Amino acid sequence: MGARSFFLRVIVFWMHWFTVLAFSSLTVFDLDNRAIDPFKAAAGARATVFLFTATDCPISNRYAPEVQRVYRAFAPKGVRFFLVYPNPADTPDAIRVHAKSFGYAADALRDPKQELAKLASATVTPEAAIFTGQRLVYHGRIDDRFVDLGLERPAPTVHDLADALTAVVAGVPIAHPATQAVGCFIADFAR
Amino acid sequence: MKAAAFALISTLVVGRAVQAGRSADPARSAESLALPTTQLKDIAPAFTTVTYSKDIAPLIADRCAMCHHENGAAPFSLLTYSDVKRRATQIALVTSRRYMPPWKADPADGPFVGQHPLTDAEIALFQQWAGDGAPEGDARDLPPLPGRQRWSAGWQLGTPDLVVSLPEPYMLPAGGADVFRIFVIPLPVNATRFVRGLEFRPGNPKVVHHANIRVDRTAASRQMDDADPAPGYSGLILRSADYPEGHFLGWTPGQVAPLLPNDYSWRLDPRTDLVVEIHMQPSGKAEAVQPSVGLYFSAQPPTRIPAMLRLGHQNIDIPAGESNYVVTDSYVLPVDVEVQAVQPHAHYRARDVRGEARLPDGTVEELIHVGDWDFRWQHVYRFAKPFTLPKGTTLSMRWVYDNSAANVRNPEHPPKRARWGQRSSDEMGDLWIQVLTKNEPDLVTLTHAFRAKVAAEDVIGYETELERHPDEAGLHDDAALLYLEVGQPDRAVAHFTRSLALKGPSAPAFYNLGTALTIARRFDEAAYEYQQAIKADPSYAKAHNNLGNVWLAQGKFEPAIQEFTAVVGLDPKSAGALANLAGAYAAAGAFDRAAETVDAALRLSPPEPLASDLRARAERYRRRER
Repeated sequence: MGARSFFLRVIVFWMHWFTVLAFSSLTVFDLDNRAIDPFKAAAGARATVFLFTATDCPISNRYAPEVQRVYRAFAPKGVRFFLVYPNPADTPDAIRVHAKSFGYAADALRDPKQELAKLASATVTPEAAIFTGQRLVYHGRIDDRFVDLGLERPAPTVHDLADALTAVVAGVPIAHPATQAVGCFIADFAR
Repeated sequence: MKAAAFALISTLVVGRAVQAGRSADPARSAESLALPTTQLKDIAPAFTTVTYSKDIAPLIADRCAMCHHENGAAPFSLLTYSDVKRRATQIALVTSRRYMPPWKADPADGPFVGQHPLTDAEIALFQQWAGDGAPEGDARDLPPLPGRQRWSAGWQLGTPDLVVSLPEPYMLPAGGADVFRIFVIPLPVNATRFVRGLEFRPGNPKVVHHANIRVDRTAASRQMDDADPAPGYSGLILRSADYPEGHFLGWTPGQVAPLLPNDYSWRLDPRTDLVVEIHMQPSGKAEAVQPSVGLYFSAQPPTRIPAMLRLGHQNIDIPAGESNYVVTDSYVLPVDVEVQAVQPHAHYRARDVRGEARLPDGTVEELIHVGDWDFRWQHVYRFAKPFTLPKGTTLSMRWVYDNSAANVRNPEHPPKRARWGQRSSDEMGDLWIQVLTKNEPDLVTLTHAFRAKVAAEDVIGYETELERHPDEAGLHDDAALLYLEVGQPDRAVAHFTRSLALKGPSAPAFYNLGTALTIARRFDEAAYEYQQAIKADPSYAKAHNNLGNVWLAQGKFEPAIQEFTAVVGLDPKSAGALANLAGAYAAAGAFDRAAETVDAALRLSPPEPLASDLRARAERYRRRER
């Protein structure tokens, strides 16, 4: 037992060391404030989805049930999901409370310098980015419910994120690889 | 080391992106300096630093903080630098599009109470501040913020005389379409009060978007609520729930109806319910919603009573795909009025709504114009300076609807035929106009003239609703009352009969049917229904009373006396019941008993005009005259 746990610790340590060495330019953290490389963490996944959100953005909060639906539909198909909080004011404790109250099942990451947001071309919350390997294949809105601030459809007519994931899983090109998301500006978090 | 350099570069990229096109860009500043001095003067403000403390905080306190404070109507607070800074780009964008502060009416209309527009120069300040990186500036520049205390204190109109809230919260689901729910809140007063103010607090501002508030002086709305196990009910606001004596009671974020003068109140009697229809938007997680309402009383009854005029049609029928469907209506004022307030109403498909007044001399005054109608901002527009429209003025409305797929607010994709209906998926088109007349005779003239117009529209509306929902008993009850109002009692009988079949037997259902039959002069059938009502509830005084009247109309005096005696037994303190019994005695020729009964009624000190009537009858009965 003692030997086994020691062995595990060595592996964990080795993985951390490897992460920092290979991806020193990207500093995102898990909720225990450990720097991690999400691409490494998602190794083996068919695709990785980053969902940029914020604890106090009303529009991104309203998307929580839709995010759960997409998660439940595609996590079993080998898609890895991360919630990404680019606002440095969103502390690990605040994120835990937020993720619990909105029922998020995906792992949460902090992106306090908005580096992952830039890599994913995300400008607002909520916004989604899909990577296959380390290649950005989709970024933009979850669906077309919000047309603009103050202008929304009673229900979405196009489910962009789910459609893009369906294409990825089927191995066909994504029809609209970039769409415009509506929400709270990530640039404001950088101040 | 490497990581730090990466972060620095990317921050600069973000900074430049936000500042693009701003004077902070050195190249552009140089260009500007080369302009002639006259133009330089115009753009001079761009060279002074816009700071939160000096420029932004006062604007926020004045135009935004009334909603954007802790527990205010808005979903987040904007009272501190950090609150505002982290939404700087957002604020610059929503102010430049005039989405915030919310004000949908044409700025040229009004002026209205509670209108807080930002000037173009003020909007430019937000733009520049966000572009410059949202600097805080010198905290010593911060103005005193009385607003901060004022808005966080809770009730904006002061401490209410009566506060009511939902007994238990309604649980709103995490997601899905917007929810419309009607809550019925009893108003616990044990004597008549006069209300000069009503303040609605949403309880959960994150999800409560607006509220329609009415008053029901019957038990009808309460029964709808009781029939639904969860708090409130889904469906239609009943006909018995109305604006009290021509007073608007609705609420949208940022609007608090001001306290009215003491002589301009509305009457609140015991056993009155507040009917509050709330439009809620799911927040992403399940939310408890428990709104409350504060009432402010006046010591005196009203001396001024407004009239509520309503233009609009209920035969709306918009084909799928139609992008330019127009509804117009007009009404010529039979008396002079002073216009107090207007409220345009429509659902998701309306695009442009306009209300006008054409005076007898031909001049046209725009009452209200909303060029980009948004169902979610249903303001009551109260004129800051009410104005007179003379007799002969034509009030008119013109609503334009877009039921095509190009209207993103269209609730149906692909578009479907849309007909009139109270539900948000149906359409409506009304312009409510609140007016004061010069005197009471004018008020009577106006309300009588107007009632026929409104009732005729309502008949169309109810028939449309019943076509869709033929099994809603409440709709049949309301339709029946409406047919009684427009003088078609046989149609009322048909609807009460259907309602009785749907709801099952009950004393009130039998009684309602009996009443319609009585008005239709179908006395035998009426008597049968009243007897059913009494069988179901022997203490149902109103049924005994009406049955007595039916017997009287048929010349059956003994049974009539029996029924009126039963009413007196059930309600011995009612002078009215004794008066009816006296009338039956007199009809039967028992003038001594009639006179004694009138005396007994007079000993109860009845109010006028009943007292005068009883004294006159006492005289007649002693002369042995009916």
